[in-house]
Amino acid sequence: MNLPDYEFLSAPLWLITVLHVLTLTLHFVAMNFLFGGVIITLYAAVRRRWDDPTLKKFVRLFPSAMAATVTLGVAPLLFLQMVYPKQMYAAAIVSGWFWLLIIAVAIVVYYALYRCAFKAERTGRISKVALGLALLGLLYISLTYSSVFSMAERPAQIHSLYAQDQSGWMWNPAAGDYVLRWLHMMLGAITVGGFFVGMIGRDEPAAFALGKQFFVGGMVLAMVAGMAYLLTLLPYLEAFMHTAAIWGLTVGVLLSLGSLHFFFKRRFCESGTMLFVSMLTMVYARHTVRLLKLAGRFDPTSWRVAPQWSVFILFLICFVVMLAVVGYMLRLVFGAKRSAS
Amino acid sequence: MIYPFWDEPVGYGILMAVIAVLHVFVSHFAIGGGLYLVVTERRATKAGDQATLEFLQRLSRFFVLITLVFGALSGVGIWFVIGLLNPAATEALIHNFVWGWAIEWTFFVVEITAAIVYYYGWNKLAAREHQIVGWIYFIFAWLSLVIINGIITFMLTPGRWLQTGNFWDGFFNPTYWPSLVMRTGVSLMLAGLYALLVATRYPASDFKARTVRYTTTWGVVGLAVTALSQWWYWNAIPAAITTKAVQIMATPMHAMQYSIWLAAIIGVLLVVFGWLGARRLPTAVAAILMVLGLAWFGAFESFRESVRKPYIITGYIYGNGAELAKAGAYTNGGFLGQIQYTTGDEGADLFRHSCRSCHTLTGYKALKPAFDGTDRAFIGAIVRSTNLLKGNMPPFLGTAAEADKIADYLYQQIDKRPLGEVYGLQGEGLGRKAYDIRCGTCHILGGVSDKSKSFAGQGPDELNAMLDMSADLGKGMPAYTGSGAERAALVAFLQELGKQVKK
Repeated sequence: MNLPDYEFLSAPLWLITVLHVLTLTLHFVAMNFLFGGVIITLYAAVRRRWDDPTLKKFVRLFPSAMAATVTLGVAPLLFLQMVYPKQMYAAAIVSGWFWLLIIAVAIVVYYALYRCAFKAERTGRISKVALGLALLGLLYISLTYSSVFSMAERPAQIHSLYAQDQSGWMWNPAAGDYVLRWLHMMLGAITVGGFFVGMIGRDEPAAFALGKQFFVGGMVLAMVAGMAYLLTLLPYLEAFMHTAAIWGLTVGVLLSLGSLHFFFKRRFCESGTMLFVSMLTMVYARHTVRLLKLAGRFDPTSWRVAPQWSVFILFLICFVVMLAVVGYMLRLVFGAKRSAS
Repeated sequence: MIYPFWDEPVGYGILMAVIAVLHVFVSHFAIGGGLYLVVTERRATKAGDQATLEFLQRLSRFFVLITLVFGALSGVGIWFVIGLLNPAATEALIHNFVWGWAIEWTFFVVEITAAIVYYYGWNKLAAREHQIVGWIYFIFAWLSLVIINGIITFMLTPGRWLQTGNFWDGFFNPTYWPSLVMRTGVSLMLAGLYALLVATRYPASDFKARTVRYTTTWGVVGLAVTALSQWWYWNAIPAAITTKAVQIMATPMHAMQYSIWLAAIIGVLLVVFGWLGARRLPTAVAAILMVLGLAWFGAFESFRESVRKPYIITGYIYGNGAELAKAGAYTNGGFLGQIQYTTGDEGADLFRHSCRSCHTLTGYKALKPAFDGTDRAFIGAIVRSTNLLKGNMPPFLGTAAEADKIADYLYQQIDKRPLGEVYGLQGEGLGRKAYDIRCGTCHILGGVSDKSKSFAGQGPDELNAMLDMSADLGKGMPAYTGSGAERAALVAFLQELGKQVKK
């Protein structure tokens, strides 16, 4: 029977890769704001700094940050499924219940963040319990993602785990593959969270100092964890050194340090841009590691490419419209804030 | 068959229904609610109606909490669950419609941003600007439906795409327009039902009466649009699908009937309590209306999901993930060879990939009760002719030896005592049960392929002779392999059926 074949890419691989890396970085920015922000706010609880106006402002932004994290997470997941469905779905199925639980946990986290924001708005106080619950949920989600996506790079392991159990209760046992990477990402989130606390609290010395403390400390620890993670990649390290990703990573590290410099000078635009580009290089390095781990078992260039240009152009138009309309609405919000002040 | 199989005990149908029905309920309400909020705000602002503006502010708080949190995340949940339940079909959809989804994502970003700005913009933005944001929210929420509707309807009616493989042929498929109009109507109806629930929280007053009447009108208009376009939608589905559904598919037909009854009840309650008893509309009635709205959606989605059986994408991929284009390879080369993730138990692997997407052993659409008290030969015969049974199942695509492996596997799971002993039956009860299990999967009494007339005037000898040669009576008919006691009870039951026909 002559039916259409679905095994194709509807755009060139490079284009999908660019979109994937870009949107995943945007997702990480929102996620880091949220994750880092929650940790820093909870730390402030220990130090009894609940009354800090910057932290209250931060808490009120958490639900919107969660919305941004979820929304910006949809696109990279879409592009990932397009190129790596066989690896991704297989890994997700083996960990089916853990994977599906992400949604339920995310709903709980979202409502906890709303509770926290509403309480801060209503009473000026922050709910420690709600924030703690949100943090636990975010930890679960991030660890599950790391476990599943790391498993997706080991097809042989998926086969062996599936042969043992088909119920969807298998957690990735190769913790060495992903725990350090996960830790690096979490510390990176604290770093970015510190940047945002410092930026939002730039006019309050205590808030800026708190942000700086987490920005610097987080970056040092993230670098240590990142180096340790690189060492776990020894079998792939030589091949990695021959890719563009190593140059990207080097530039990324330098840009991270540069972002510190500008942060100290309170030039947040330059600092933030450097931080973003640095994250972009890390996401690209992560993408390269995936290709190296899958080498010999799966080559994404083997996909047949049958572009759907008419729909793609429509997507580009919609993308521009999206930027324009979102920009317009943000202008309205900030315009209203300015007139109120 | 290139993916592992998630062997969870709940049942794929239930998992999908729980996540999908709740999501579509909230997401449609998010669209209609957006329109309700901005249109009502415009009216209230023009009239200087402060009470209504406060009501809308209250409404928008819950609206944001439900749509942004539950709506957005359950939408992602559908992504997650379809990848687990039918990864091959999900992959096919992604490859064909990725840019459609990417477009929907751009609308989604605007929708979410607009919802946040609209909610936080009360008392902060100027009235005109606030309304502009409200309109942006509604337009982009509806545009999301415009896109996703193309992909949902494609699964039931892929239309010319099956020949061309062209994106637009698949997107603007035969049920696209009726479905879009119907879902827009549903959105209006749900917005009305939800606003009604919030309005009933106010004490009896002129304001409450006015708001309830106005909101009820939204519900009634939405319901009318839904009812008319549902009829259009039914007629847009190719006759080959609807005819088969009417003949042998109880699930979609019952679901469709329920949806019609539920719509009628919603209409009556809206008119009686919303228009005539507006001042004192109790919260309980509004809550019941919401539940009925959810039930309506559950019934309709159940219809849509089940009427496309045996496919998950009509004419392309079967419900169990087997691809029609590879049917020859499955049948000639064997199904097992196509299963890439194996467990060492071939019968179990075959069972999972052939049957388990729809059936569990003891829970949802359980197979154990269908085979308890039977035998291996009967189970094998049923496996080999699944496409001839009621319910419009996919054909078994493997070899005869593989069908036997599934039969072996199932036979290990069932109660092997005689049928009468399993159910504690004898006489007429046993005969009826034997009929249900051994004959009723194809010959529905009073329905399709009812052979009762042929039993008229037949005695035990003729009926026993018929059972002896049952394997030769028609394609896929299993040989009668039941015990002597079961046979005697079945023959008596068939004789009784024949007598009733004679009367």
